Amino acid sequence: MKSFKNHLSFLIPLFILLFSLQFSKMIDRGVKEYESKLTNEYSIILVSKSKLKVKDLKKLDNSIEKLKEEDINHYIKSLSKEEVSKADLVYLKSTLPYFYSIYLEKLPSSQHLSNLKTQLLSQASVLDVNIHKETFEKLHQFLLLSKGASYLFTVFIFVISILLIVKQMEIWAYEHNNRMYIMGLFGAPYWLKSAPLYKLVIIDSIIATLLVSFGFLYLPYLANLKKIKADMGIQLSNFHLFTDTASLLFISIIISVIAVSLTIYKQER
Amino acid sequence: MSAKQIVVEAKNLKLFYKPNEPIIKSASIEVHKGDFIFLTGKSGSGKSTFLKSIYGEIPVGGGGLKVQGFNLANISNSNLALLRRHIGVIFQDYKLINEWSVEKNVMLPLIIAGYSKEVCETQAKKLLNHVKLPHKAKNFPMELSGGEQQRVAMARALAHNPKLIVADEPTGNLDEYSSEVIWNLLKNVKNHLGSTIIVVTHKIPSTASLDYRQFYLDNGSLHEII
Repeated sequence: MKSFKNHLSFLIPLFILLFSLQFSKMIDRGVKEYESKLTNEYSIILVSKSKLKVKDLKKLDNSIEKLKEEDINHYIKSLSKEEVSKADLVYLKSTLPYFYSIYLEKLPSSQHLSNLKTQLLSQASVLDVNIHKETFEKLHQFLLLSKGASYLFTVFIFVISILLIVKQMEIWAYEHNNRMYIMGLFGAPYWLKSAPLYKLVIIDSIIATLLVSFGFLYLPYLANLKKIKADMGIQLSNFHLFTDTASLLFISIIISVIAVSLTIYKQER
Repeated sequence: MSAKQIVVEAKNLKLFYKPNEPIIKSASIEVHKGDFIFLTGKSGSGKSTFLKSIYGEIPVGGGGLKVQGFNLANISNSNLALLRRHIGVIFQDYKLINEWSVEKNVMLPLIIAGYSKEVCETQAKKLLNHVKLPHKAKNFPMELSGGEQQRVAMARALAHNPKLIVADEPTGNLDEYSSEVIWNLLKNVKNHLGSTIIVVTHKIPSTASLDYRQFYLDNGSLHEII
């Protein structure tokens, strides 16, 4: 029972810490995926007197990925069904400017977008540029808010778990001080005196990592998350079994070993 | 005729708890292999402090102190650990590990020396028989009386057959039976194993029918009573 309590008192803060880190990673991935989705769908509409080439625009701004010319024939065809004469249509077609959709490599900031608009408008051939500022800004602010909130949450939880671990270190110092002191009087080497503590935290690190990994593996199957995924069209809890488990295990072992080493260092002094 | 091997050698040894306030002002002693030493003196005279300096719990503040060839005035942590592995210490307050069973406490010096589990168990069993506590092997120290705890501490001190045993008031708070067990055991260890034994005590037991040397600590100085 005492051994179970010993494990639990370190396991809980370690689990919370790993969970918050993985949760932050999950939100970060979700936001990145959503960003990428927005980037793919988002385009700037540009109206030009002459034909444009993507390489010329790239000289203005390197974040421009591709340029797609809009087909005006589609609109002219729709006009032909109405009462517009053929001659007018021919005239219209010959006088209409070129319409382009500009796609960017990554989602820009509002400032970047305004600068880009100014640069594009400074070109002699460009007649107009529409960046859909309002819609874009709303989405961008929402993404920034989501990122900020998730980071804030992670930092908050991280600090709480670190405080809990520090408290646990004090308990260890109290619990193991006498044993380590007596072993020291009989000439026990460092590793032998500290072995029970290292053993305890390594076991706890493995258990905490497995619990968090299983939790995040089964998170996508929760009904609420399924709905969010479907609504947003993203994979909100994309857990990478091997790399994420390995990094969680690495982090938990590093934190545990540092906590134990600090406790023993204090005792030795 | 070859000279007797010196196990503990102190020359003008000074020991401090606070700077400029020496507990031991000048102690000189030569303890030879197989000696049984009684260290006596008034309360607060520094008997326990002197004993602690032998296993390096109190640093040498001046003069010289050599124990089993190790110079304690200038000893590294690893050498200090090595020296402690060759000394059997019996503390006045027992210093047993409460989370460990009696048997495991007795095994401690053997575990540190790296003996196998079987060897440790066999030796612990043998020693618990010697101190007349074989039935308490699986108990924890808190479940034992003071006398029993001291007998366990005695068994632990002898577990690795040390050539030097130091005991701080080993029978100070014990009943007659436990005291007798401990004195008889120390006598047997000296007679059969030839170990060197240094005992701090207020009173030399009347049952101690053995060859011994007596030292008296007074006003920070050590004198041999002949």
